[in-house]
Amino acid sequence: MTLLKTGRWITAVALALLAAVYVRALAFTPIERAQGAAQKIFYIHVPSAWCAMLAMGLVGIAGILYLLLKDPRFDRFGEASAEVGTAFSCVMLTTGPLWGKPIWGTWWTWDARLTLTLFLFLLFLGYLLLRGAVTDRGLRARYSAVLGICGLVLLPFIHLSVYFFRTLHPQPIVLKPSAPSLPGSMLVTLLFSFGVFTLLYVGFVTQRYALAVLRESAESGGAHA
Amino acid sequence: MPEGMPQNSGFMVAAYITAAVILVTYAFLLYRRTLKP
Repeated sequence: MTLLKTGRWITAVALALLAAVYVRALAFTPIERAQGAAQKIFYIHVPSAWCAMLAMGLVGIAGILYLLLKDPRFDRFGEASAEVGTAFSCVMLTTGPLWGKPIWGTWWTWDARLTLTLFLFLLFLGYLLLRGAVTDRGLRARYSAVLGICGLVLLPFIHLSVYFFRTLHPQPIVLKPSAPSLPGSMLVTLLFSFGVFTLLYVGFVTQRYALAVLRESAESGGAHA
Repeated sequence: MPEGMPQNSGFMVAAYITAAVILVTYAFLLYRRTLKP
């Protein structure tokens, strides 16, 4: 099976499982008493934030490996991961305010966590704009790698910002040194959602990587013709 | 829904629909782009 077909299959399976996440979260997971139904946004907001951060982390690691090894596969992977990360950032930045409005009473506040996640989204956009603006392949890969590494450096600040600064955003309840502070049924739904979103990320990136390979072979074919 | 609980399911529905629209649209666009690279 080709990389493209593998990516399509993974994406199709992940989208079907996403429907299962929706059913489990909406129908079979208890409603939190203090926040009401809006708390269920948690099951899509947190995994999408995880995928956005995973995407940027891997863009940064691919950037480091590209600068060390000069292997174009890392550059291609960085491009794929950045585009997919942008999509997950959009989910994170739209579901967040929809959760914040009923709970905090405001759509948005310029505190450290929210501002840094917006900055992450803008870094993704900047990365993609940079790739579109530089035509020389080698330069584009090098500049993109450096920007990706900047994104990687940003990630610990995003995760730890809720400890360092006063913020409305809740502190981590799963990715923390102590045990997750969540009832069992809610934790199962969250972990299921984490798995499905990660699978969706893998499917998207596989397809996007295959697309980059196809484009490059078409370009080099056109150059030879 | 039990009494005394905040009535905010509209926000939940909006968030779930928005997330689905973004992810499914991206999946569809990616599929279209791979047909004609």
